Amino acid sequence: MKQIIKYLLALIFISITFSSIAETTTEHKPTIIALSPHIVEMLYDIGAGEQIIGTTAFADYPEQAKNIPVIGNYLRLQIEKVITLQPDYIIAWKSGNPSDDLARLKQLGFTIIYSQPNSFEDIAKEMREFGVLTGHQNQAEQQATQLIKALELIKAQYHDKAAITVFYELWSRPLTTIAKGSWPQQFLNICQAKNPFEQANTPYPQVNIEKILLTPIQIIIQPLSFNQEGSQKEKEAFNWQDWPVISAVKNKQIIQPDADAMHRMTMRSLGELKNLCASIDDTRQWLQQNNEQ
Amino acid sequence: MNKLLLTLMALLLLVLISALAGLNFGPADLSYSQVFQCLTGNCADQISQMVVWQVRIPRVLVALVAGMGLAIAGAILQNTTRNPLADPYLFGIVSGAGLGATIANLSLESIGLGDQLNIALPLAAFLGALFAITIVIFIAKVLQQMEQLLLAGVAVSFMLGSVTQFILYFGDPFATNRVIFWLMGSLSRVEMNNFYVIASVLMVTIVAIIALHRQIDALLLGDESAASLGVNVDQLRLLMLGLCAALSATIVAYCGGIGFVGLMIPHIIRQVIGVTTLKLVMGSALIGGSFLIWVDIIARSALADAEIPIGIITSALGSIFFLFIMIRTRNTH
Repeated sequence: MKQIIKYLLALIFISITFSSIAETTTEHKPTIIALSPHIVEMLYDIGAGEQIIGTTAFADYPEQAKNIPVIGNYLRLQIEKVITLQPDYIIAWKSGNPSDDLARLKQLGFTIIYSQPNSFEDIAKEMREFGVLTGHQNQAEQQATQLIKALELIKAQYHDKAAITVFYELWSRPLTTIAKGSWPQQFLNICQAKNPFEQANTPYPQVNIEKILLTPIQIIIQPLSFNQEGSQKEKEAFNWQDWPVISAVKNKQIIQPDADAMHRMTMRSLGELKNLCASIDDTRQWLQQNNEQ
Repeated sequence: MNKLLLTLMALLLLVLISALAGLNFGPADLSYSQVFQCLTGNCADQISQMVVWQVRIPRVLVALVAGMGLAIAGAILQNTTRNPLADPYLFGIVSGAGLGATIANLSLESIGLGDQLNIALPLAAFLGALFAITIVIFIAKVLQQMEQLLLAGVAVSFMLGSVTQFILYFGDPFATNRVIFWLMGSLSRVEMNNFYVIASVLMVTIVAIIALHRQIDALLLGDESAASLGVNVDQLRLLMLGLCAALSATIVAYCGGIGFVGLMIPHIIRQVIGVTTLKLVMGSALIGGSFLIWVDIIARSALADAEIPIGIITSALGSIFFLFIMIRTRNTH
């Protein structure tokens, strides 16, 4: 009996010691202000979501992110709130946050780390960096490796597929598409989808419907934000049914991926890449079977 | 004590109250006593010290001098051109600053000097604004009609605006966002150095106005009458325009586009204090400074999670003010 009590006491002592060590470790995890939805998602992906103490508007994924205090938007940051929160690090989106506010925060002594993923490989690279920064190296490494492996698989699956002409509708009013240098263009490249506007002078060119009518578009890709109400989504999308002469419309080949998942540079976008390539491939096969152009 | 002195003292009191209010409003939850302790050098903690001395004080001071500067520039331009619609921004100053900011944004990013934007952007905006005003003056000189200044300003404004939009369309979309939002105006980025620069230009302008206020008053009687009183009309108008341009360009460079202040405030002062230059300038400075402090208070406190660009608020108030003037004029007639 004495022996059992001794073991129990030892067990209690060990568990208390470990839990206090764990608590101490948690206390030392740096606090972070993440200044864009994609940074918030990335931090949750590597297990550092609980360390985020402030973010910007529209950081709505995963569900827990909706509870993080908002300290500004893409236009302005509330510098006073940042000072009050006293984060160890501010992770900012280099091209998507107000540079003057960031310069001011740097001047006030805050450490700013920049995120600027331009490719899927960059997402993996940044996840590893954020892992080191937040003390979640293992999970970050695991996620990054998983991302690269999944990406290689998708690339291998579609690299020798026949090219198919698509129109990517980024915005409906004015009708705007994508070109080289834009984030979604790599989706099209990987899925072997040919973008007739790829060589435009600007990454997000506005296009005339006449030009689209003259191009044999086989698929229309129309990303929609699924966070919005159904009626809102429909209002914002271009009404392609008015143009039945376009072969994609005639053949009902309009794909509507999740815009948030696709346009945010995170693990989710890889899932959306997989879905998009599969949808494009379905159309490719359908066209081959029906001998359509 | 005469009425003017009493009015000016009341306006001074308004400036003081506005400044104190400006120090007490903000997203950081600081009590009056905490702010007061910080002002007397006994801050309770480092966070309050930082909020009060590095954020709120520079903002209030820059709002004060920027509001004063824009209102004075508007008042002087309206008196020297005898045009009630004259406003520093109608001379293409914001469009010029926008073009400068666009070029700085895109060129520095493309050569990898994006980190230098904080210094380069105000400088480029200032040069752009001066460029715009130089073209306006040149056109007016060529036409040999200084009263055409406003029309020339509107034309130059559209021209530079279209060049800016053309460049932005082919540039990085994020740079486009930065420029567009920068032009909406904000005091969130300001620091004490900005206050010193704006205050210096403001002082020079005020001294020049005080020295020349009688000549400017003579212009109110018409160019011929002023000339017969010995005033070199074109030279005086050019000097005042140059000073107002430099003052407005400096403010735009640090605060972005803050419209309508220069237009609204002098109109109010004419009703309350008087039309002669000295009264108008003193009144405009005090009301303009207080007005911008309150606008900035709204900008940083109205929304819980974000700031409203200051130019949006001044334009909204300005448009309401215009409608009010229109209705009042119609009723009077």
